[in-house]
Amino acid sequence: MIQLVFNGLVTGLLIALPALALALTFSVLRFANYAIGAMLTVGAYAAFGFNTLAGWPLPLATLGGMAAGALVAVGVNELVYERLRGCSGVTLLVASIGVALALENVVRFIAGNSPRGYAVALARPLRLFGLRINFEQITTLFAVVAVLAGIWVLFRFTRIGRAMRAVADNPDLAAVRGIGRRGVVTVVWALSGALAALAGVLIGLDATLDPQMGWTYTLPVFTAAILGGLASPMAAVAGALVLGVAEELATTVLAPQYRNIVAFLVMAVILLVRPSGLFGARWLTR
Amino acid sequence: MSALDVQGIEAGYGARSILHGVDLTVGDRGSLTVVGPNGSGKSTLMKVVVGLIRPSRGRIRLLGEDVTGLGAPARARRGVGYVPQEANVFRNMSVRENLKLGFEFIPSRQPSGFAGRLEAMLDLFPELADRLGTLAGHLSGGQRQMVAMAAALMPAPALLALDEPSAGLSPRNAGLLFAAIARIVESGVAVFMIEQNTRLGLGAVEDGLVLVAGQVRARAPAQALLADPEMRRLYLGAEATP
Ligand SMILES: Nc1ncnc2c1ncn2[C@@H]1O[C@H](COP(=O)(O)OP(=O)(O)O)[C@@H](O)[C@H]1O
Ligand SMILES: [Mg+2]
Repeated sequence: MIQLVFNGLVTGLLIALPALALALTFSVLRFANYAIGAMLTVGAYAAFGFNTLAGWPLPLATLGGMAAGALVAVGVNELVYERLRGCSGVTLLVASIGVALALENVVRFIAGNSPRGYAVALARPLRLFGLRINFEQITTLFAVVAVLAGIWVLFRFTRIGRAMRAVADNPDLAAVRGIGRRGVVTVVWALSGALAALAGVLIGLDATLDPQMGWTYTLPVFTAAILGGLASPMAAVAGALVLGVAEELATTVLAPQYRNIVAFLVMAVILLVRPSGLFGARWLTR
Repeated sequence: MSALDVQGIEAGYGARSILHGVDLTVGDRGSLTVVGPNGSGKSTLMKVVVGLIRPSRGRIRLLGEDVTGLGAPARARRGVGYVPQEANVFRNMSVRENLKLGFEFIPSRQPSGFAGRLEAMLDLFPELADRLGTLAGHLSGGQRQMVAMAAALMPAPALLALDEPSAGLSPRNAGLLFAAIARIVESGVAVFMIEQNTRLGLGAVEDGLVLVAGQVRARAPAQALLADPEMRRLYLGAEATP
C-alpha cells in the first residue's frame, strides 16, 4: 500500500512538469496546447542525441535537451501561434494538434521507430523503510522537486515571474503597466519547452524512448492540469500528484493496461462536476 | 508644451465606429474631465489615448512626441499612467505586488526608489498601509480603486488617465478618493479623467469637455461648465445639482 502510494507520487511527479507547462501556457495564452506530449518527446530525443551521439553525461545532456526543448517551443510559437494571434482558443488548439503531429514525425524521421534508451549504468534498487525505491525514482524525486521549487521562486520573487502572472491575470492591465506581451510569451514557451523536455528525459529513464512516448502522456497531463484548474500552474502539480496516486491505487482492482482509463474517468468527472478544477477556486476572476 | 494632445481621432470596434473626430488637449500640469452620457465613447477615447485601441484616423501626442504608432507598454514607459474603469487591479496578487508591478517595468520619473515611492503612495492612501499583504481581489471596491491609482502613480507618470474613479464607490469613499485626486492635480501631474459624477469630476479639475455620441459637444473651464444651466439640463443630469 505504502509502496503503491510512493510509486503513485513518483508517477505524479513525472506528470507534474508537463502539466505545469500546460497550465502555464494556458494561463497566459488562453489555449490548451495539445502538442505538450510531442514537446516532451522532442526534449527526450534531443537529450538522447547529446547523451549517446555526443557522449555527454546524462545530467549535461538533460540540460542540453531542455535548452533544445525551449528553442523548439519558442520557434514553434514564432512560426505558428504568433501568426494566429487573435484567433479563438479552439483554432489554436487545432493548430497545436498539427504541431504535435509534425514534431512527432520529425522525431520519427531523424531517430527512427525503434525504442531507445539512455546510456546509464544499471543500479540496484534501494530499500528504505520497507519501500523498494529504484534509481530512476530517486532521480525523478530530486529533479522534479528541485525544479518545482525553482519555478515557485521564479513566480513569486522575480520580475519576470511577476510579469507572467500579471499577463495571466489581466493582459490589458499588464500592457498599460509597461509589460510587453511578446517578451512574456517567449519566456513562457521557453519555460514550457524546458519543463516538457525534462519530463521526457525522466520518462525515458523510467521506460524507453520511442516517438510515441508523448501521446501516452497527453491524456494524464491534461487530466492533471484540469484537475488542478487549468489557469493556475502550481495547482496543476497538485492535480498531477492526486492523479498519479489514483492511477497506482487503481491497479489493485484493474489490470495495469487500463491505467489510462483512470485518467479518462477522472477527467470526465471533473469536467462534469467542477470545471474550474479541484484547486482552481482560489483563482479570482471578479 | 501640452501633456496630451489629441487630434481628429476616429476609432471603433471592428466595423462599428464610435468616435468621430475627437480633438482635445491637456496642458502641462493641466487637468481635464470628460463627461457625457453612457455609451457616448468616453472609455473608448481613453483606451485610444493609452494605446489599447488603435485609432483609424488621427494623432496622439504625448509631451510633444507623436505616440500614435506606439502600443500601450511603450506609452506607459513614456509617462502615461492609466486606471481602467473595470478590472483595474491584478486580483490574484497582493497589494504590494500590484504596486511593485506598477513600478518595475517603467522608468521612474523620480529618483526615489521603490521604497520611496511606496512611502509616498501610503502617504496619499493611508488605508493601504496595513493591507499590503492582502490579495487585491479580496479588497472592497474603494480599496481596489486606491490600489489601482497608487499602482499607476508609482513610477510618477507625467499624465494620469482615470476612467470613472468614483464608479461603485459609496459617497464617502468617492469623496476621500477625490480628495486624493485633488492633491495629485495640485502636485502638478497632468490629469485626464472621465467621470459620471459631474460635480465631483468637474470640481476637481481645470477644464471640462462634454462628449456626446462620439463627438465633442462642448469644451470650457470646468467651473463654467458646471454653472451653465443649459449644460446641466442637457448633459450633466441631476447629479450636477450641488
Ligand atoms: N469591446 C467592445 N466591443 C464592441 N463594442 C464596444 C466595446 N466596448 C464598448 N463598446 C461600445 O462602444 C460604445 C461606447 O462605449 P464606451 O466607450 O464604453 O462608452 P462610455 O464609456 O462613454 O460609457 C458603446 O455603444 C459600447 O456598447
Ligand atoms: Mg465608460
